[in-house]
Amino acid sequence: MAFFMDLGFSKGICDGSIANFAVNGKPYGFQFDIRLNYYRGLFLSCIDEFGVKVDGEEVDPMDLTFAINDKEFSALNLNENISEFWNLLHKARVFVRMPGGLPLGQHAITLRLMLRSPYLPLPGGEGEHNYVPIQSGGTIVVTIPKEKML
Amino acid sequence: MSKIDLGITLYCFTAEYYRGEYSLEDCLRATGELGVKQFEIVGSQMLPAYPFVTDKFRSEFNEMCEKYGVTCVSYGANMDRGMRADRNLTEDEMLKSTINDIKTANRLGAKVMRAQYLLSPKVMARVAPYAEEFGVKVGIEIHNPETPSSPVMQEYFETYERGGSKYIGFVPDFGAFATRPNIKVARALENEENKEAIEYAVHARRNNIPRNKARETLIQMGVNQEVMQCFEEMNGFLTFYNEPDLESLKRIMPYVVHFHGKFHYMHEDLYEESIPYEEILPAIQKSDFEGCIVSEFEGNEPGKTYEMVRRHLAMERKILGIGIK
Repeated sequence: MAFFMDLGFSKGICDGSIANFAVNGKPYGFQFDIRLNYYRGLFLSCIDEFGVKVDGEEVDPMDLTFAINDKEFSALNLNENISEFWNLLHKARVFVRMPGGLPLGQHAITLRLMLRSPYLPLPGGEGEHNYVPIQSGGTIVVTIPKEKML
Repeated sequence: MSKIDLGITLYCFTAEYYRGEYSLEDCLRATGELGVKQFEIVGSQMLPAYPFVTDKFRSEFNEMCEKYGVTCVSYGANMDRGMRADRNLTEDEMLKSTINDIKTANRLGAKVMRAQYLLSPKVMARVAPYAEEFGVKVGIEIHNPETPSSPVMQEYFETYERGGSKYIGFVPDFGAFATRPNIKVARALENEENKEAIEYAVHARRNNIPRNKARETLIQMGVNQEVMQCFEEMNGFLTFYNEPDLESLKRIMPYVVHFHGKFHYMHEDLYEESIPYEEILPAIQKSDFEGCIVSEFEGNEPGKTYEMVRRHLAMERKILGIGIK
């Protein structure tokens, strides 16, 4: 990726939001909250790239969902949502299926999130559908303590 | 005779709004405290049900406006031509989206709407009857690096001349008249090592040395990232010209519905770093413009926004020779 915009408002994953979650009483995965790194909200169809890595390993998109506006969307076709708006102030919640949850100890969680600014054609960009990319992801290192284990 | 009102766009408070330090209500309160009555709101930034206005929000909004003695003069719309992942919106779809924006502007009480240039002159001509029906004047923003004489702006101008509607026009952004480098350049110059490279970059811009050639020279000089970014910006959305394009502004003035008083940094002595307000404001004052200039702070000075906007309004009043209403 050559040029992209990064306003520095958000580092992607919200501090302190990573937590394991359970299904039927058993750890089934983990979740975290994310915010837009931009000055305005965007339709989900403006998400060009969405992915998660745990300790360098890419999570299968089948195991990823993205929740906003009281709905939960599959990572597979997130960008088909042309009328679902991600408000600037709202946190989206990402769920990662990972039976057993994040194990005890330290982990690097990476959010890959590239958006595009739909009113701002990329100067000198090729093709008719080429807009300024907005970097909205980041990596954070978390330690899952004993008391956070489910 | 001109009739100029001063206001601000709530966009000034982007940093505070994002961090939750200012709510929409805080932005409206600040507007009143700054001594102005008119404000602009960017829909995609602050409307809870964007791109719509629910009845509930409308009544809360009206109550807040009344409480702080302010009114929504302008609605900032976006032309999100690339909002779909698979293709650009068609002209019809862009028209429909703009009609919805006009409706939203009207529901907020705005008489003016800022539109963006991806809405082509051809589609703008089709916007006119809807703008008239809702009583909302729609203006295409003229944003740096465009100026009123840019070819695309001339196309709008010709369209307006042919059409005869008073409801479609322009919203010039003062950034389009910048004649000096942006504040970021002054900051890069604080580092003595950058001096030669920055001076070359400014010289290249002033003398229209082709961007690629100038870039190569800078690379050969071994400049750092900060200088390179200044260089790219002064050839992009933060460019500057040797003279402000005020002659062309005069020509399009009959179609100007609103102004964005862009600024990046206001010095204590009421001087804007890059934009010659002392030349632009008198030109507007001498024209027949009737409408509002909204201060638009686009710097990133956490915690200083309110003071920056206060200074900006003070500068405008000083140049225009008007007191606080």
